Amino acid sequence: MAVLKPLFTGLPLPIENSLKYTPKESKTNVNVSQFSPLKDFFALLSGVLGILVALYLILGLCVDYIVPLLSAKAELVLASPFQEIYTDTEDNASSKKLQELLQGLVDAMPEKRLPYQVSLVNRELFNAMALPGGQIVVYSGLMDEIKSDHELAFVLAHELGHFVNRDHLKGLGRGLLLYTFLRLFIGPDNFATDFIGQSLVGVQMQFSQQQETAADLFALNLLHKRDGEVTGAISFMKKIAKREEGARFLNYFATHPHAEHRISTLKKEIENKGY
Amino acid sequence: MELLSLLFFLGLGYIVGTIAEKRHYRSIETRERQYLSLPAVTIKNIDHQGAKIESVALVQGSAVISVDYFKRMLAGLRNIFGGRVKSYETLLDRARREATLRMKKQALFSDIVLNMRVETSAIGKSANRKKSIGSIEALVYGTAITYRK
Repeated sequence: MAVLKPLFTGLPLPIENSLKYTPKESKTNVNVSQFSPLKDFFALLSGVLGILVALYLILGLCVDYIVPLLSAKAELVLASPFQEIYTDTEDNASSKKLQELLQGLVDAMPEKRLPYQVSLVNRELFNAMALPGGQIVVYSGLMDEIKSDHELAFVLAHELGHFVNRDHLKGLGRGLLLYTFLRLFIGPDNFATDFIGQSLVGVQMQFSQQQETAADLFALNLLHKRDGEVTGAISFMKKIAKREEGARFLNYFATHPHAEHRISTLKKEIENKGY
Repeated sequence: MELLSLLFFLGLGYIVGTIAEKRHYRSIETRERQYLSLPAVTIKNIDHQGAKIESVALVQGSAVISVDYFKRMLAGLRNIFGGRVKSYETLLDRARREATLRMKKQALFSDIVLNMRVETSAIGKSANRKKSIGSIEALVYGTAITYRK
């Protein structure tokens, strides 16, 4: 066995102090940290996601704050891209009836901020929505099933309620925010981003249950103001309740409250106001 | 779709990477015990105590270890907040120890390896890009001395 002995004698060590090599196995590894990679991964990931979610919520609140300050003129400028979404609108007796119903309701409204319009879109959907710029879209699927004028008036008044509460702009703002976030942080060529981008109109329609309840109550009051009666509200809700029965599990993710819950809220309001 | 492939590669990287790393460490530890009696030191000059030198040779060993998908992600997340990039520690440790073992294997019939040095470099497609590390290479070299018996 070789003896390690520095030849350079300028060292403060006496030359006799040779370094004897003794093979020794190291039991620990100082260069590698003992840690749980999975735990570390999830801690860091939840940190990043938490910050993003917090940012999204804060910006969402900013949207809610800014939206009521928008003038009607600014909204119409914002709304111009939405005018061309639905080219398959129908122009027939039904759409004329809708337009007349809407006009009657708008006349009863205290404030006419936007040029309200309604268009009938030929699609087998049981839905209606409020687009920026005062445009209400009613799908023919809903039109075919609802024959009563009172019930249609309730649907239109409900959408007017969204306009009055600026829900359509809040939804649009949050939809854009979500899209921007996804594009920035997940990337443009991505399933989730594409999906949200393509369904941005759908995303903006996803109002919260609170907003839906407010729109319901607005519609109820508007109907009473115009007709002095509110029979359309409850009978329309009962139709929704019947439709919901088939697809109950879907309501877990629903943005609208349960129809039964909406009925009871409406009934309470009717009782309170004495309609 | 991309989220799915991301999750797939993350899972694959974690499971296969962990198994491969454990196996490599077991192999490293066994061979280190085997080669323990051959000194490989950083000192340059020693007193040979009158022993006649039979041969002097350059010996070197190098190893390239790649990062796995999971470790890369973990390091990427760590890059956001800062701190010790623990997921790369085993990578460097394995490369250095494997390279040392390969050098020792080359010097197995010598009595001592002097002036041992370690160099590390990033190689692979993304080596010179700032964002990611592809693989790392550790190169260990020294001077093997054999005494006349």
